[in-house]
Amino acid sequence: MSMAQKSVSAPFAHRVIGWTVSVARPVISIGALLLIWELAVQFRWINGFLFPAPSAIFASLLADAGPGGDLWKHVGMSLYRLLAGMALAIVFGTLIGIAIGMTHWGRLIFKPIISALMPVPTLAWTPILLLIIGIDNRTTILVVFIAASFEVIYTIITGIEQMSSRVFWVARSMGATRMQIFWKVIVMGITPYLITGVKLGVGYGWRALIAAEMLAASSYGLGFMIFHASEYMAIEMIYGGIFCIAILGLLLENVVLRRIEIATVEKWGVQVER
Amino acid sequence: MASRPKIVAENVQMRFGHVTAIENVNCTINEREFVSIIGPSGCGKSTFLYLVAGFEKASGGKISIGGNPVTGPGPDRGVVFQEFVLFPWRTVLRNITLGLEIQKVPREEAEARARKWIRLTGLSGFEDAYPATLSGGMKQRVAIARALAYEPEVMLLDEPFGALDVQTKNYVIRDLQQLWIEANKTMLMVTHSVREAVLMADRVLIFGARPSSIVADVKIDLPHPRDPADPRLAAYQAEVTEILSAEVDRSMIQSRP
Repeated sequence: MSMAQKSVSAPFAHRVIGWTVSVARPVISIGALLLIWELAVQFRWINGFLFPAPSAIFASLLADAGPGGDLWKHVGMSLYRLLAGMALAIVFGTLIGIAIGMTHWGRLIFKPIISALMPVPTLAWTPILLLIIGIDNRTTILVVFIAASFEVIYTIITGIEQMSSRVFWVARSMGATRMQIFWKVIVMGITPYLITGVKLGVGYGWRALIAAEMLAASSYGLGFMIFHASEYMAIEMIYGGIFCIAILGLLLENVVLRRIEIATVEKWGVQVER
Repeated sequence: MASRPKIVAENVQMRFGHVTAIENVNCTINEREFVSIIGPSGCGKSTFLYLVAGFEKASGGKISIGGNPVTGPGPDRGVVFQEFVLFPWRTVLRNITLGLEIQKVPREEAEARARKWIRLTGLSGFEDAYPATLSGGMKQRVAIARALAYEPEVMLLDEPFGALDVQTKNYVIRDLQQLWIEANKTMLMVTHSVREAVLMADRVLIFGARPSSIVADVKIDLPHPRDPADPRLAAYQAEVTEILSAEVDRSMIQSRP
């Protein structure tokens, strides 16, 4: 998606209205669905036990959010694991991606390993991790790391392959040292690809994390919250957990990271094929 | 007006595997001269330019700039490519200050010098634009300004107008002529257009079919800046075209199975 002409900044009022409309549309459509659901339960069209009313779901979420409730501990723990796993994925994923993309030995050593491991679903690693590490934050953090690092590695390799050698020629013509080329050309050149890789990594990492939290029966975390709720038949909390997971996932991928993507990848007109 | 030699090529040869692209290339380009290189497709004219730029190493022979042999790329030479090769994550201003940043020129001075070239290349108002939003002609202007900003001794241009449409091309050609007069630099330009070569250059070096050497050195004895409608240009164009066509025919025969 590249812009053909110089973008014109719209007046502030237009931008506020535009933003409100873009937020309002999904809110209205989801709100309508919830309203129908609520009415369906109130009028007994559907089973209120298996499909509790949204009002009941929100009530139990609110109760858990207050004093004596654990909601924020669950949210906080999941987010902490996600961030820790992403940090690892960014560091190692970038290094491995650069090694594969730029060096002969990197390609020889890492590429076959990555290609072989890629088809394995992230969750298949959980039993081994549980055996080696046990029920510990490290297990879930590593699950996020595994899920996200493949995305980061792949997009960075793509980024390096897309960079034409001419860009390096231009820099060398200006007398750039190797360090200058590293920071001013390579690092800046792969940044848009890293950002998109992180965005995809967060998507897969979040999903894998929740599932691992359920499997690993860890303490706290939204996945655990659902698992725990199901053991006690607290159905509202199961749905509540799903709501939280959905909203947080949406905020992370489509708001936070999308914003960063817009401020960099799109502004620079870089096409990141994925 | 006698001027000293700036770029000297002696017995330059370039081989890629078994294929010899250019050989026996001998030429001298003097200070402040504008020299065009023209030749059949695939004859190695861009190869020669990249050897002068230092991006490739010659298989044989020697190239020197201002007396110093070429061992690699360096800030004494500025390069402009057909595909612009701008840095998409930098604004126009920052693309142009890049060479100065690399030379550790302080930020204020670098920006002041960049702004001068922005003005001279007609880019005023676009300092904070990103390359993705610019047209081809603007991008090439940025590329030219970027190469001139760090004051190289020599400018090397590889088919600079190749990616531009005809109308834009005419404007950029006119601007480049002006820039060359202002900047007073030695310029070496590879082109496939006889019209461009004759319009802009003091001398046209015609490369032959592969393995290429310089088959002709046509001096264009007209003052600068030149008007494309000048009838005297037509005579030079005809002369260059005649020599070039013979070489194009020869290269076509070569490639026939």
